[in-house]
Amino acid sequence: MPSARNSGHIMSGAGCKANGAVYPASSAMLNSVKKPKMEQIQADHELFLQAFEKPTQIYRFLRTRNLIAPIFLHRTLTFMSHRNGRSNAKRKAFKVDNMLQTVEKMKGEQDSPSLSSHLQLTFTGFFHKDEKPSQNSENEQNSVSLEVLLVKVCHKKRKDVSCPVKQVPTVVSSNEFEPSNSHMVKSYSLLFRVSRTGRRDANGLPNGEANENIDVRDTQSRKKRNSSHKEEGDTTETYVAQMTVFDKNRRLQLLDGEYEVSMQWMEDSPVSKKRATWETILDGKRLPPFETFSQGPTLQFTLRWTGEASGKSTAPVAKPLATRNSDSSGPMETRTSHHRATPLAVKESVSTDIQMRKELIPCEPRQKLRIFYQFLYNNNTRQQTEARDDLHCPWCTLNCSKLYSLLKHLKLSHSRFIFNYVPHPKGARIDVSINECYDGSYVGNPQDIHSQPGFAFSRNGPVKRTAVTHILVCRPKRTKPSLSEFLESEEGEMEQQRTYVSGHNRLYFHSDSCMPLRPQEMEVDSEDERDPEWLREKTATQLDEFTDVNEGEKEVMKLWNLHVMQHGFIADNQMNQAIILFVDDCGAHIVRRNLCRNFLLHLVSMHDFNLVGTATIDRAMARLKQIQEELPEDAEERQERALLAAAGSCNGGAASSAVGKQGKRTKSALTD
Amino acid sequence: APIPPPPVQRWRRRVRSEYMRLRQLKRLKKAEEVKAVFVSNRVKIEKQTSILNGEWSNLRIQSVPLSSSDGPAATKKMCTVESGFPGFKVQAVAMRPLSTVTGIPFMYSWSPLQHNFMVEDETFLHNIPYMGDEVLEQDEAFLEELIDNYDGVHGDREGGFISDEIFKELVEALNQYSDHEDENEEEAATAAPTEKKEAERAIRRSSTEGKIPSDKIFTAIASMFPYKGTMEELKEKYKDLLEPPSLVKLPPLCTPNVDGPFAKSVQREQSLHSFHTLFCRRCFKYDCFLHPFHATPNVYKRKSKEIRMETDPCGADCFLLQKGAKEFVDQNMLRSQRFRKRRRHQLQQQQQRPASASCPGPSGFAEESKDGESDHETTSSSDGNSRCQTPTKLRPVDDEAEQPASCAAEWSGAEESLFRVLHGTYFNNFCSIARLIGTKNCKEVYTFAVKEALIHRVPLEDGGILPQKKKRKHRQAAALLTASALSIPDNSSNQVYNYQPCDHPDHPCDSTCPCVITQNFCEKFCQCEDECQNRFPGCRCKTQCNTKQCPCYLAVRECDPDLCMTCGAAEHWDSKVVSCKNCSIQRGLKKHLLLAPSDVAGWGTFIKEPVQKNEFISEYCGELISQEEADRRGRIYDKYMSSFLFNLNNDFVVDATRKGNKIRFANHSVNPNCYAKVVMVNGDHRIGIFAKRSIMQGEELFFDYRYSQADALKYVGIEREVDMS
Repeated sequence: MPSARNSGHIMSGAGCKANGAVYPASSAMLNSVKKPKMEQIQADHELFLQAFEKPTQIYRFLRTRNLIAPIFLHRTLTFMSHRNGRSNAKRKAFKVDNMLQTVEKMKGEQDSPSLSSHLQLTFTGFFHKDEKPSQNSENEQNSVSLEVLLVKVCHKKRKDVSCPVKQVPTVVSSNEFEPSNSHMVKSYSLLFRVSRTGRRDANGLPNGEANENIDVRDTQSRKKRNSSHKEEGDTTETYVAQMTVFDKNRRLQLLDGEYEVSMQWMEDSPVSKKRATWETILDGKRLPPFETFSQGPTLQFTLRWTGEASGKSTAPVAKPLATRNSDSSGPMETRTSHHRATPLAVKESVSTDIQMRKELIPCEPRQKLRIFYQFLYNNNTRQQTEARDDLHCPWCTLNCSKLYSLLKHLKLSHSRFIFNYVPHPKGARIDVSINECYDGSYVGNPQDIHSQPGFAFSRNGPVKRTAVTHILVCRPKRTKPSLSEFLESEEGEMEQQRTYVSGHNRLYFHSDSCMPLRPQEMEVDSEDERDPEWLREKTATQLDEFTDVNEGEKEVMKLWNLHVMQHGFIADNQMNQAIILFVDDCGAHIVRRNLCRNFLLHLVSMHDFNLVGTATIDRAMARLKQIQEELPEDAEERQERALLAAAGSCNGGAASSAVGKQGKRTKSALTD
Repeated sequence: APIPPPPVQRWRRRVRSEYMRLRQLKRLKKAEEVKAVFVSNRVKIEKQTSILNGEWSNLRIQSVPLSSSDGPAATKKMCTVESGFPGFKVQAVAMRPLSTVTGIPFMYSWSPLQHNFMVEDETFLHNIPYMGDEVLEQDEAFLEELIDNYDGVHGDREGGFISDEIFKELVEALNQYSDHEDENEEEAATAAPTEKKEAERAIRRSSTEGKIPSDKIFTAIASMFPYKGTMEELKEKYKDLLEPPSLVKLPPLCTPNVDGPFAKSVQREQSLHSFHTLFCRRCFKYDCFLHPFHATPNVYKRKSKEIRMETDPCGADCFLLQKGAKEFVDQNMLRSQRFRKRRRHQLQQQQQRPASASCPGPSGFAEESKDGESDHETTSSSDGNSRCQTPTKLRPVDDEAEQPASCAAEWSGAEESLFRVLHGTYFNNFCSIARLIGTKNCKEVYTFAVKEALIHRVPLEDGGILPQKKKRKHRQAAALLTASALSIPDNSSNQVYNYQPCDHPDHPCDSTCPCVITQNFCEKFCQCEDECQNRFPGCRCKTQCNTKQCPCYLAVRECDPDLCMTCGAAEHWDSKVVSCKNCSIQRGLKKHLLLAPSDVAGWGTFIKEPVQKNEFISEYCGELISQEEADRRGRIYDKYMSSFLFNLNNDFVVDATRKGNKIRFANHSVNPNCYAKVVMVNGDHRIGIFAKRSIMQGEELFFDYRYSQADALKYVGIEREVDMS
């Protein structure tokens, strides 16, 4: 009787349980006091909880969130690369022509919706919820045997005839379904029989805690193994299910797709005598049809009709951890070896179980690495130790497989703690303490927090957005992984705990208005001008306040002050140049406002201060004259104004204007 | 009829009621003024906001997307308004929740600034600082102490205050009032002869119009406001106030606009007075924001004698071709050179032109006799003053008309003033002077010069001295400076004093020189010789001046662009790349800083681009206040728990509370990435913030507020809090 061995293990419902719960008697002890009193233990436990409870809760929450909506996959991290089951082996054999073939093949399949010649079944797992203690894929594999029988129901014969024990074909040739000569087969159905031997606690090791996401994939078996002989286990449970392939009218009932079949427990009795029904009875009560899926054992498989018997399975195939090296020698071969349904049973001698264990050995030289976690708290004066035998992260139950990966993962993913590695004869000791420097400051992409509403898009046209570098490919020089990097370093440890991330990962504001700085405004420093508006106004009002400075003087002084403020002259030897620049900038204004003589006084004054030479005065005045000549209409205007003023029709006399608008200060009033 | 109260009491009552009425009027008037100002301000604000709105509408801004992700669920939420009145329908509108926006830290308004700004001490408390009701209730002693620190609080004296204006109005109002009161009183009291009454009234009338009201009024006012003085004093004051205000004299030193129609012919000193007094030789600006004193230029010496005589005639009509002109020029040149050695003459301001001056000529010169008369040879350094010396003649405009045009051309007041100004610079280079005046040719200038020279011959009386005025707007700062300069304790202390250019013409810079006493070098602004021993020589570096090899760097000075000619501090003015790394503060080569909420507290300063260790980041700018003022302000800042005070030197503190730049938001840290250094920059102490280590872009900037000695602590509020506890 052929049966399939499934390497998958049983999914446990305790998936979210974390470390502490699984270790009911975690070796909590004080190393100094031998037999502490109960209160002391309690008080100590309080301190322990005080220190570690909050961050642990946070990390458990994050773990669950990451299971539901993963932000990244651990297998993509360099130090977790061994979790990546995919290899690039196929790429080597890849040819462009193959693409055409693949497409054509797919086309062909679509063109013939009728029966393909082969039925391919890929089993992905057998799930039994009732089984409480789950299995650890790494250290312990539970396996079940699976038999698939093709049951032919013949019309003519009264008796149910189970067809010669069909081997457990992954690929059932369609010609099996051809009417046989002897019998008129009325319908065909598939009978699944799973037998499970109770082999639990065989080696007495405590099993790992919850299975995680990836472990689920580990449980997938891409191949059933045929095994004619039963395991020598004492108790054997058998579950059966039957599905119709062709009904009486020879209509195909099983189309391509993924199936989960609810299994029924049955006594270890011959199947042939019993007719499988779709009714589900649990504890004598009838259950609604879908309840059975959550309650009872189920078998998952993928069904495909393929044109070629040897066609490779296109169903998603995941391989167990650490078997990637055995890719070519693995399941594919086995499949092809018995693709044709033959009445003879084919035995598969190698169980995945064993295979996996073998492959684990080169990864971790010590098969049972013991890791001691030493929790330091209460200012590192107290400690509690826990030991465990696997390389799963205690906070997020991630199977890291390697000590280096575990340490790296702890350090990078759980930065609320400080981890220090200490070598230990039995394995490793990890000192865990609270990272006081952890400030939770954001170190990610600025774009993610400041989407900057309103700045990114516009109906008026394109606008600049915050420049963000998305790293597509990065191949930095990596140092060889070494456990020494986790050893406690003496100096600069505290400094390094704070992660300095460079870059503008925040929203900036204008200093004058407190408005957010738009990305296109980043480049210019708009608020650091040498002559801000208010200062220009201030210098003008300050000069206006003088009562004994006449209007002409004031105006030239204001012009000059603004000129100096704008250019920021700092040296005596800049003055000659500054004056020429002043004439160029303000010459026209000076001429228009009729300030030439005042300007000349200003020049002479500068000369008196020994800042400019007479040559500069000559040059500046010549330039001014030139400007004056270039503005003939203004000159006329000026003459006109002068005439008007002389005639007295203009009220702006020197005497009256000198009294000024806001007579507050005098240049001489404060003289001694 | 009720018995009238005694006159004194009655008058007092009147004074009180009148005073109240006037005050009430004033208040109303003031309220109206405030309203008007408010309204005009509103108009300005609206104008400004409409400009801003216009700018915003031009900005490319996407409207905030409504949170429509919830779809129908969001639109189901309705806001309804129901009315109790039957006629009104219930109004409902869909609620549109806006996404929350995180708030920003609190910020008091401040003005941006890139250079320190000196302000006067505030002797009046402008407002009682408000920091929450609890603080003030709990700490009344603080407020009392605070007010004690000031001369008063703004607006405090209003009660019982009587200004000159109110006083005058009060007297006038009482005077009016008294007329009929007295009449009634007299009628009621006695039956005086009508003639007498008439006469009395006439007298009183005349006194009302003719000015001085009765003494009764002043007596009453004096009794009401005893601090304003006695009755006699009040009377005198009233008389003074009656003086017609139209007679407000023009400030004596205000010269008419030289470009205006009423330009007068004045002395050179007078023409240049405003320019000379207001110009700051250190900032190159008029009435600068930083330096209270501006030395006038006549104490500056010419460093290079650059007066070049044009010996060649400027054209065919040049005055040099005239007979005797050359001799005049040469002679005059000699004279002026000799003259420059002489103490300055004080010239008579209003000097009448002698009749003999109408026909001047080169022959009429008798220079020697005049010179001999006023010859006071000195070797003092002030001899340079005489360079500005020019003959003066102030001629009233009327005079000009009377005088027949004996000269070839008529000279306006402005032209004459201009000539004197230029003559002080160009001397007898009449061609240049003529060119600069523009409206006269050199012959005319020459003729005028000869005339002026003739006038000069006339013996001068001392008088009409132009005051050596200095505009002094920081009286307290001056007092403080002298105080600090005098009370320099011991040389051992490493205290730093403010630099003030020294000016002691009688002796070189020895132990009495203020620069020496304050342990400062003499700068180019000092009046001492270039060869002064106390002058800093500058550096001769050819490198970056960022090591102690550079004497400037070693002395914590920035390179002086007028002294250090080799390091590059005096080159590439327009470029940001200067080979000398020790001139960043003066050139304002600051780094681009950004403002964002801090990771530590409140706002923070962040750097845009990465910087190297010891690189200059920014100057810490603010108001320059005296130490006393800093003490007063610090008390308030301590209460607010936020202080922007930064000790600059023993005399001054930089306060970035009201004015400053973005570095003011940098937070304190005991493990900072920046450090502060007070550097002497061209005579001014300035605070530079430098990188303590290399800083990455986007990092927040911190520096240790306790940068210097322990006494700096007391100006930093938070640190002080810690200190006390």
